Amino acid sequence: MSVESAVRDSALSERSVSFTKEQIAAYAQASGDLNPIHLDDDFARSVGLPGVIAHGMLQMGLAGVVAAEAAGGPDKLTRLYCRFAGMVVPGDTVTFTAEPAGPGKLHLRAVNQKGEAVLTKSSADFKS
Amino acid sequence: MPPTFAAAYSLGVTAPQLFGDDEAAVDFARLLHAEQEFTWARHPEPGETVTSQARVASDVSRRGMRFLSFETDTKDEAGEPLCRSRALFVIRP
Repeated sequence: MSVESAVRDSALSERSVSFTKEQIAAYAQASGDLNPIHLDDDFARSVGLPGVIAHGMLQMGLAGVVAAEAAGGPDKLTRLYCRFAGMVVPGDTVTFTAEPAGPGKLHLRAVNQKGEAVLTKSSADFKS
Repeated sequence: MPPTFAAAYSLGVTAPQLFGDDEAAVDFARLLHAEQEFTWARHPEPGETVTSQARVASDVSRRGMRFLSFETDTKDEAGEPLCRSRALFVIRP
C-alpha cells in the first residue's frame, strides 16, 4: 500500500463506474427486477425512453458501497436515502461520492461524465 | 451483507404483488423509481429468515403523473424490526 492511500481522508470515499448492458442485465437477475425497460432496447424506446436504463437500485447499491467505505463498514449504516434525479444509460460513467456532513452523517453524490447529477439530495446515516 | 441487499428482501418480495394487482393498475413499463430510503435497526445475517410486509402509503396524481409511495417493514424470526423501506415510484403518462 502506498503512503498516499494509507493516509487518505478517513471519511471521504469516491469511485467511478462505467455502466454496461451486461451489468444492468446481471443486476436485473440478481435483484429480481426484470422490468423490460432495463433489458430490451426496443421495448424501452416503445415507452419513450432512450433505450435500456440502469435500475435506480443499481445506482443506490454503488452509492451504498462508497457510503459503507466512508462509514467504516456496511454494518455501520443505519440509513441510506437516494433521489434518482437522472437516468443512467449504458456507456455512462458515473462518479459516486460519500462526503462527511457532520457526526454520523454523509452526503452522497453521483455525477455522470457530462457533469449532470444523477443522484440529488442523497444521504446516509451511520453509527460509530 | 451489502446494505442494498434490502432491494431483495424489502422490495423484491413485496413490489411484484403491487405491480401485479389489477386493482392497483400500475403500468410497470411507465414506472420509474424516484426515491428510495432504507433505515435499519440492524442488518440481517446470511442464513436468517426475514418477513416483509408492505403497504401503499400514498397514491396521488398531479399533472398527469402518478406518485405512488410504498412502505415495507421487514422483521426477523423473533418479530424484531430489521429494516423499513420507503419507495417513491412515479408512473409517467
